[in-house]
Amino acid sequence: MTNNSFSALAALAAATPGAAGCSEREMVRQSGKVKLYRYRPIARPSVSTPLLIVYALVNRPYMMDLQEDRSLIRGLLNEGLDVYLIDWGYPDGADRFTTLADYLDDHLAGCVAHILEAQHLDALNMLGVCQGGVLSLCFSALQPQRIKNLITMVTPVDFHSPADLLSKWARRIDIAAWVGDGNVSGDVLNQLFLSLMPFRLTQQKYVDLLAANPDRAGAENFMRVEQWIFDSPDQAGAAFREFVIWFYQENRLAQNRLEISGRKVDLRTLRVPVLNLIGKRDHLVPPAASLALKGLVGSRDYTALEFDLGHIGMYISARAQHEVPASIAKWLAAR
Amino acid sequence: MQPDPWAQWLAFSARFTPGASPSGTAQNASSFAPFADLSEHFNAAARAYFDGAANAPAPAAAAAAQSFGDSLRELFSDIQLPWNLSAGTGGAPPMFAPNSPALGASRESQLRAQRMAEAWRRIEEAQRRLQRFGADAVREAAATFGAGLAAAPPQAPSAEALHKLYGTWIDCAEDAYARAAHGEPFCNALADYVNASSEWRKELQAGIEHSAKLLDLPTRSEINTLTQRLMAVEHELRALREQSRPEAAATPQRAPQRAPQRVPRKKAKP
Repeated sequence: MTNNSFSALAALAAATPGAAGCSEREMVRQSGKVKLYRYRPIARPSVSTPLLIVYALVNRPYMMDLQEDRSLIRGLLNEGLDVYLIDWGYPDGADRFTTLADYLDDHLAGCVAHILEAQHLDALNMLGVCQGGVLSLCFSALQPQRIKNLITMVTPVDFHSPADLLSKWARRIDIAAWVGDGNVSGDVLNQLFLSLMPFRLTQQKYVDLLAANPDRAGAENFMRVEQWIFDSPDQAGAAFREFVIWFYQENRLAQNRLEISGRKVDLRTLRVPVLNLIGKRDHLVPPAASLALKGLVGSRDYTALEFDLGHIGMYISARAQHEVPASIAKWLAAR
Repeated sequence: MQPDPWAQWLAFSARFTPGASPSGTAQNASSFAPFADLSEHFNAAARAYFDGAANAPAPAAAAAAQSFGDSLRELFSDIQLPWNLSAGTGGAPPMFAPNSPALGASRESQLRAQRMAEAWRRIEEAQRRLQRFGADAVREAAATFGAGLAAAPPQAPSAEALHKLYGTWIDCAEDAYARAAHGEPFCNALADYVNASSEWRKELQAGIEHSAKLLDLPTRSEINTLTQRLMAVEHELRALREQSRPEAAATPQRAPQRAPQRVPRKKAKP
């Protein structure tokens, strides 16, 4: 591997990950650090209702549009969808008391209202990704009249499924003491995520990279993902504390015990069509954690699609590019 | 090249790799060397195994497999798992014995230092337990790996075969680690580590606040109070705007906002 190592080093040193995001877009709303983007269409419209992508708070949303040949958003645009994306920004010390209710009622609701008003609609399609899927479920249950179709992607619902290692660890930690009155460092969270599979995530992937002897394009692909993985925003302390205690420790959503700002989040009130996209090899959100949604929503039009992919592979793998956007577009077009 | 992700990558790789220097190498590409070294050591051990096992009778092949597993155990014995990064490098060493009497005008500071010392002792104790789980996982993985090799005839030592063997080794290591990580003792050790770290940080913050007040500097608590007041005003303003919208009556409203309260700290589960 020695020769490969030198070649790989040279390729990595020359790699220019480039600006995150590849598709043309316009910022259509900003409230504090939260921005709403609308992507420029690149194909003939196939679905008239716009699709709002709600990404997780714990990572940056440009993973949805990493590069031209690895972009879920690009795939959706190619399918003729009208795509919006929320960028939650990087919370700082002034955001430490921002709660989940603030994210839902002020930021998410504000973005939804903006789109509905701009397009003279009563309801839109929503795609929630990972933790953003949980936010989407909560929002949809609280304001079902604003949602036409809901899509959840690698979204945990039952946080106490047996394979959920993160949940097992979180349940014994005094989260209120850990968070204190501050924010939670994104770097610390990254350490936690790496600890889930330390041999694979801190060694094998780099050794494999050396062995693969990547060319410049391969090195740039690697570096873009690497950049994204470690570009982790700090988490607004209050929202993080609520999320871990309510979802990971107490599993309130799955047990129908969740209240946000005095309003019950009852998934049975969710009667719009639901598409649940699951990665069979997802180590962060085990399939069982997502599949539980079926028994919890009130919708009679529920579809679950499982892909033989991991968590990140669901956004950027070659197979995902072929299968995921087309599946979403086909499902939406039928409704 | 954008410097940030690259520098981040180098620092990261230097921190996590067996034998890597904990500091100083992050500024140049030689930080990649540990991964190349790791590959070379793995290849050397694999070639020794192939030499010993090829065309050998079963007992000799089994011995070569076990030797391969042992050398991997050795190679990975000092792996730095993420929770152990700060061991011996960060924080303050205990300055006060936990149970000594606190006397005089600085009594509060002494008590605080004692609590920090006790928290630090618990942090180190939890780190040792976690590191032991890591070492046990590597030992178990080496045994599983060796047994698997002994049961299967060796392939020709091609680059593909070596890479495949490396993948098998990582699978063994992750499986062994996952068995430990899902278990109650590991979860408890991790929780003890995090909870003790929280207590240590809380005491440190209290000490800094105390010093800041003596110097008439703004403290974190004071800034937090102002932030909470500002947020309460923002919420009230938003609620008033919302009420003035004609369609407001049809939209479910959140409960009236008040200044964010500190959440009472919950006891960790035993």
